[in-house]
Amino acid sequence: MRPEERNGAVRRVRDQFPVGMRVLAVDDDPVCLKVLETLLRRCQYHVTTTNQAVIALRMLRENRDLFDLVISDVHMPDMDGFKLLELVGLEMDLPVIMLSVNGETKTVMKGITHGACDYLLKPVRLEELRNIWQHVVRRKFSNRERANVDGYEECNRPSNADFDNVLDQTCGSPDQSGRPSKKRKEYYSEEEDEGEESNSQENDDSSAPKKPRVVWSVELHRKFVAAVNQLGIDKAVPKRILELMNVEKLTRENVASHLQKYRLYLKRLSAVASHQASIVAALGGSDPFMHMSAFEGLQSYQGFTSSAALSSFSPQGLLTRNNPTSFGIQGMAASRPIQIASVNSTISHSIGDTNKYQLSLPGTSNRPGNLAQGLKATSVGQVQLPQKWIQEETHDLSTIISGNGLVNGVPGALRSVADSPLLQQDLVERRQANIVIRRSSSANSEHLEGTTGVSSCLMDSHISQQSGLLLSAFSASAVPMNGSFSGTNVAKLGATSSGSTNICPSHDLRVARDNDVGDSSFGSVILLPPDTAQNQKYLNFGGGSSARHNMDGGNADTLLDAKLAWSSLPTSQPPSTIGSHHPLSQRPNNGSLGVKMIEQTRASIAAPQTKFDMFISGDILTPKNARDLSFPRLNSELSSSSCSFDGLLNSIIKMEKDDASFSDDLGCDFYSLGACI
Amino acid sequence: MAAAALREQLNALLTSMFASGLVDEQFQQLQMLQDDGSTPGFVAEVVTLFCDDADRIISELAALLEQPVVDFDKVDAYVHQLKGSSASIGAQKVKFTCMQFRQLCQDKNRDGCIMALAVVRNEFYDLRNKFQTMLQLEQQIQAQQ
Repeated sequence: MRPEERNGAVRRVRDQFPVGMRVLAVDDDPVCLKVLETLLRRCQYHVTTTNQAVIALRMLRENRDLFDLVISDVHMPDMDGFKLLELVGLEMDLPVIMLSVNGETKTVMKGITHGACDYLLKPVRLEELRNIWQHVVRRKFSNRERANVDGYEECNRPSNADFDNVLDQTCGSPDQSGRPSKKRKEYYSEEEDEGEESNSQENDDSSAPKKPRVVWSVELHRKFVAAVNQLGIDKAVPKRILELMNVEKLTRENVASHLQKYRLYLKRLSAVASHQASIVAALGGSDPFMHMSAFEGLQSYQGFTSSAALSSFSPQGLLTRNNPTSFGIQGMAASRPIQIASVNSTISHSIGDTNKYQLSLPGTSNRPGNLAQGLKATSVGQVQLPQKWIQEETHDLSTIISGNGLVNGVPGALRSVADSPLLQQDLVERRQANIVIRRSSSANSEHLEGTTGVSSCLMDSHISQQSGLLLSAFSASAVPMNGSFSGTNVAKLGATSSGSTNICPSHDLRVARDNDVGDSSFGSVILLPPDTAQNQKYLNFGGGSSARHNMDGGNADTLLDAKLAWSSLPTSQPPSTIGSHHPLSQRPNNGSLGVKMIEQTRASIAAPQTKFDMFISGDILTPKNARDLSFPRLNSELSSSSCSFDGLLNSIIKMEKDDASFSDDLGCDFYSLGACI
Repeated sequence: MAAAALREQLNALLTSMFASGLVDEQFQQLQMLQDDGSTPGFVAEVVTLFCDDADRIISELAALLEQPVVDFDKVDAYVHQLKGSSASIGAQKVKFTCMQFRQLCQDKNRDGCIMALAVVRNEFYDLRNKFQTMLQLEQQIQAQQ
C-alpha cells in the first residue's frame, strides 16, 4: 500500500506507521460507536465498526489479517466483551483494548486477566486513541521474541528475508534488519500461499490459514488441550494430537495451525508469568507448556531494541507492582513506567491461566535449599568463585546501549516446580527457618532501587525462580549474561518462597568458565552474582516466603553484568548448604578494584523426597548488537546446565537444548555445548 | 448579518450549556472534531443518535420499573448503557444521574430507581431541548450560507 515506506527511511516509516492501522471497533451503543469511530478516523486509522460482538468475531475469523487491533466495549448484550476478548486472544493474536464506562478495579482487572492489552474508560479521548498503535507494535515485538525461542518452529520454515513490514522497520534499528524477517516466518508460513495484500501491514497479522476454516469451539479446544497435555508440549505434534482428538473433518493442518496459536498464546501468558513468579509449573514435564512458555518468555525480551518506545517493555515493572516486596525490580520499573501497565496485564493474565494450563506434579516437593553439593566448600557452605570481568566488553555494551537508548536485558527465569500448595508451604517454612544469607564484604551494599535507573538503562535480566533457591550455575561457556534474577513464588499456590536476584550482567567469558566447570560438573547451583560494579548488594532472603538476592554491580557508569546459569538441583541429601564467595575482579576503566562479594546461603533441606525441577528461562533485552552475544550465551548456559544435570533434567531442559541448537543454526555465535560440559 | 447573529446565538447557547454543566469537555472535543472540517455534521449526527437512543432507553427503563418484579440486572444494563452513551457525548448531567441511578439499582431499591429515572428523564429532556435548539440554529446558519 505504501511501497515507499518499505524503502524509505526508517524514520519516515515510523512517522507514518499508525496511519492506516486497521482497527475493529465493537460497541453495542450506537452513540459510543459513532463517537469512537470518528475519533479513530481522526487518528487516521482504518476503522471498521460493528455493534455486535458476534459479528465482530465472525469478521475476525473470516478476515483476521485485516485487522491490527480490536477495541471492544465490555458490556454488550449479545456477547460479553470479556468473552470476545478471550476468544480473540485464543484464536488470533490480536491486541484487544477494552472500553467501558465502568472503571471499577474489579472490572479492569477482569479485562487484564482476560488478556486485554489496555482498558480505556469512556468517554475515550482522542489523546488516548492516538497512542493505541503502541499495542500493535508491542504485540509484534513480543511475538517476535517468542518466535525466537521456537527454534524448532522457525528452523523448519523458509526464511523470508526480504520481508519487511512497517512495524519491523519501525522497531528495528538498521542493524537489526535481519531479525524481523526471521521472526515473521512463523506467521508467514501459514499464509504464504495467500496473495499478499499490498498493504504491508496486512502481513503483520498472525497466522491466517486460508484453508477451510475450522471454528475452534470451546469443546474442540478442550479436546485439543487435553490431547496436547497428554502428549506433552514438546511431543505434541499435530498428527498425534489429531489422533487423540479423534474429531471428524479436522485436518492435520487445522491442528497444526491451532497448535501454533496455542503455543503463542501460552507463551504470551507465561512470558510475564515467569517474571511474576507466579509459576505453578511442575517441572516433571507434566507441564510442558509452562516450561516452554517460561523459557520463551525470557527471551521474548530480547527482541526489544532500538527504539525507546518499543524497548520500554519491562517485566520488572510488573514484578514491582505485583510484588511490592520484591526489591531490585522496582528500580527497573521506574525507568519504564509507561509500559508497566501493559506488562501487568500480561502477568495477571498469565496467572489466571496458570491454573488452566499448568499441571503440577503431585508428590513432588521442591527443594528450597540450594544444592551446592558439588562445590568445594559445600560442607563449609562457602565457596569462593573468582570471577573476572572483562571490562571492555562491558563498556562497549554500555556505550552501545546508551547510544541507542536500548536496553539489554537478559531475564532468565528459573522455576522450580512446586507441588501442591501444601508442599510449598512446607518448603517455604523450611526456607525461612533454614536459609540464612549473609553479606560479607560487599564494598557497598545498596539497594537496587538506587541503582535501578542505571541498571535499567543497562542490561537487566531477571530470573525468577519459584520456590527454588536462586542458583546460578556458571556454565563452562562462561557466557556473560545480563540479568537480574528474581525469584518469586506464585501467589496462587499460596505459599511460595521466592528469591529474586538482580544481577548485573557482566561479560566475562573467562570467569564464567572457571566457575562453570566446577559447578556444572557437580550440578550444583550457586547464586553467582558477579558484579563488576563496585557496589554489590546481596539481599537477604526475605524472611517471609520470598527470598531475594539483589546483586548489583553498581556504578551508574558501569554496566552490570551477570552471567547466570540457574539450575536448581534436587539433592538427595537432605541438608545442604551452599555458600558462594564471589570476589570480583577489577575493572580497568573504573579503576575500581574487584569487589568481593560473599554470599552465603544456607539451605537445609529436610524434605525427604527430592524432586527437583529446574526451570530456566531467560529474557534478554538487548540491542541488536549486544543481543547476539548475550543470547547464545544464555543458550549455552542452559545447555550446560542440562548437560550436567542430564538425568535430572526434564523436558524443559530439552527444550532449552533445542533452543541452543536453534541459535546455532541461525549462525549466532554459540558456545559449544562441549565447552559447557 | 443574520448568520453572524445566529452564530452568536449558537455560541452563547453552547457556552451556557457548558457553563451549567450540562455538557462537559467531551462534548467540546466532539465540537472541535467537527470544526476541524473533516467531519461535517458529525455533532448533529451523534446528538441525534444520542437523543433517540436515550429516549428509547428511558422508555425501556420505565417499562421495566413498572413490572411487578423488577429485573434489576436488566435495569442496570440499560442504565449502564445510557451512562456510556451520555459519557461519550459529554452529557455530563445525564451521566451523573445515571451513576446515582446505578447505585440505587444495585441496592435493588425500586422506589429509588423510579425517582432516579425521573431525574434522569428530566435531565435528558432538558438537554434534548438544548440540543434541538442547537441543531436548529446550526441548520439556520447553514441555510444562510
